[in-house]
Amino acid sequence: MSLAGVALIAGGSAAPAAAQGKPIRIGEINSYSGLATVYTFPYKEGLLMAAKEINDAGGVLGRPIEFVFRDDKLKPDEAVKAARELVGQEKVDFLAGCISSGVGLAISAYAKDAKTLYFATHCQTSRLTWDDGHRYVAHTTNNVNQYVRALAKKASTFPYAKWAHISPDYEYGHNVWDEFIAYLKQLKPDVQVTQQNWPKLGETDHSAYITSLLQSGSDAFLSSVWGAQEIAFVKQARPFGLFDKVRYFSASVGNPDELDPLGKEAPIGAITPGFAWYDEGMQQRHPKLSEWVKKYEAQAKKEPTLGASWGYASAYIIAEAIKRAKSTDTDKVIGALDEGYEMQFPWGKVIMRGCDHQAIPPQWVGKVKMNAQGKPVLAEVEEHHGQELIRSCEEVAKIRLTAAGQKK
Amino acid sequence: MHAIANLFPWITNGSLIMIQVMSGLAVGMFLFLVSVGMSLIFGVTRIVNLAHGSFYMVGAYLMVTLVGILPERPWAFWLALCVAPLGVALLGGVIEMTLLRRIYHRDPLMQLILTFGLILVIGTLVLLLWGPDNKSVQRPESLAGSVRLFGQFFPSYYVLVLVLAPLVAVSMWLVFYRTRWGMLIRAATVDREMLGALGVNVAALYTQVFVFGSWLAGLAGALAAPTVAVALGMDSDVLTNAFVVVVIGGLGSFAGSFISAIMVGLLQSFGILIFPAISIVLLFALMAVVLIVRPWGLLGRPEDH
Repeated sequence: MSLAGVALIAGGSAAPAAAQGKPIRIGEINSYSGLATVYTFPYKEGLLMAAKEINDAGGVLGRPIEFVFRDDKLKPDEAVKAARELVGQEKVDFLAGCISSGVGLAISAYAKDAKTLYFATHCQTSRLTWDDGHRYVAHTTNNVNQYVRALAKKASTFPYAKWAHISPDYEYGHNVWDEFIAYLKQLKPDVQVTQQNWPKLGETDHSAYITSLLQSGSDAFLSSVWGAQEIAFVKQARPFGLFDKVRYFSASVGNPDELDPLGKEAPIGAITPGFAWYDEGMQQRHPKLSEWVKKYEAQAKKEPTLGASWGYASAYIIAEAIKRAKSTDTDKVIGALDEGYEMQFPWGKVIMRGCDHQAIPPQWVGKVKMNAQGKPVLAEVEEHHGQELIRSCEEVAKIRLTAAGQKK
Repeated sequence: MHAIANLFPWITNGSLIMIQVMSGLAVGMFLFLVSVGMSLIFGVTRIVNLAHGSFYMVGAYLMVTLVGILPERPWAFWLALCVAPLGVALLGGVIEMTLLRRIYHRDPLMQLILTFGLILVIGTLVLLLWGPDNKSVQRPESLAGSVRLFGQFFPSYYVLVLVLAPLVAVSMWLVFYRTRWGMLIRAATVDREMLGALGVNVAALYTQVFVFGSWLAGLAGALAAPTVAVALGMDSDVLTNAFVVVVIGGLGSFAGSFISAIMVGLLQSFGILIFPAISIVLLFALMAVVLIVRPWGLLGRPEDH
């Protein structure tokens, strides 16, 4: 019995025949060149792995699904150009993809005009389905709100009252800090902000910010600096003794693309979210997880990342919406999304919420530790489901109303 | 309000100001190493080498590979530091001889297009050869920790840079002002036609300068590798800063590069403390001011601009 049989919810035949007939085509626009590739390459592996499973198990409505890939070069206008071409010339049934929030919002705006359904996959901004949400967009992975709140919830369990932060000065950085401090103050009212640091996105030298943080008098600080910038920040901060003086909370250092290169220089004791599939507790809670990981490693020749799980889940979520609609007609599929549904994945339950087409997966927060092999990993992983954390449908409706009012 | 809240602690805390100065100087030294090669290449060949950032990136990536294949011994890091820049020098030499030679006499726009094209080609080659993952080089054991400076912790690795970069600067000065080759270089920046008329092989000189400039970029990248993430995109990150330093210091003036690199390093260090919101703009504001007052840079020559 293949894993595909377990993951698919809709009733299929007991002995699945290979999918036949005209393929259902999904135009996938993402950043497959440059610095984003460290995320999008594993994501694509996950996506293709799921697509193959779906097709081997009989496809969607008996038809195979097929992804048509385009590179947006991290530019919103390139992405929109690609979207136009995919819809106008390639005549794809749906659009999908994004890693940069700016690009995702641009494709979403185009999808609204073109009345084509767009599944945003890897980008994270809450604006996609909330402030700038509309019926022609769905978000198949978690948004900033959910994982930042999970981190803030963990932060509230510590006695740290004086908080500083270092965040890149752009939409994502502001989004993360605003969500974090709002939720933290809600859970722990004695929290005060001692210092704010806004380096530019892609800053290479952080020594001034590090010295600043050292004398800020803070108990702890949040960093939403990510990727190469996070690696540079950690490498620079350690010999200044920053992590010994001020407790480090990071929105991303638990991810292997940052933790692995850091190696011996990893910030031990840092609290951060991450997809710790190797964690014993995780594997006990999710018995199908190690099988999925083995299958992924056989295909991709590398260990999976959080993005790989997102690619995998996205393909299934899209397929499920079409199945429930019993059609590839855009309005019918939107109807299926409006009703909402739940799916089981090797790492837990993912809810597709009807009121805003927002996916709600489980959230994990852990602590950075050295494992027995001398490699930094995420340990003491705690799991909460996003549905305990995410803003309610009523709050979302208010956000959309305010955003619509501001646009006039 | 935040600016003032930040000001008070460090004004009363003299040791932190000193650490800030030292960090700023260290940053300045990294900037000098990156920029001086670009300045030198322009001074002699009149080529604005936009691919300079790419050479820096290749230097860092070569460092990753070399440190990876050498055994884990104390000398491995130093050997890698010597070899990586040579690899970049070789790359520079090949590019100069096969590509740049054909366009020296052409419209300067052609060189910009060519060197810009090199950015894209080298960037893709790096992705193909090393893959998309972020890489890292660890500081050597002897320099992994910190020293106590003014009662605060200061990274030992920065001490290396603060010693090495001025050494490079002094060595360069000795080469330019105390050797025959250096004299030829200086002559070429003043009047290369006359130099050619005097029987010097100017074409060979151009190649040598380009190779030397590339070597400097590679050295900067290799030296910087343990302090940053070695990743795609580091070429554009460094290019902007290098360009600003070179323009402020004066294209072609290596003393200018040294002074302006220190200025930029200190400005970035303190700008963040005093005006956190506009620290990004400060750098370009300085460049604008210098260009208005002295359009050829602090120590550049008027006929160059």
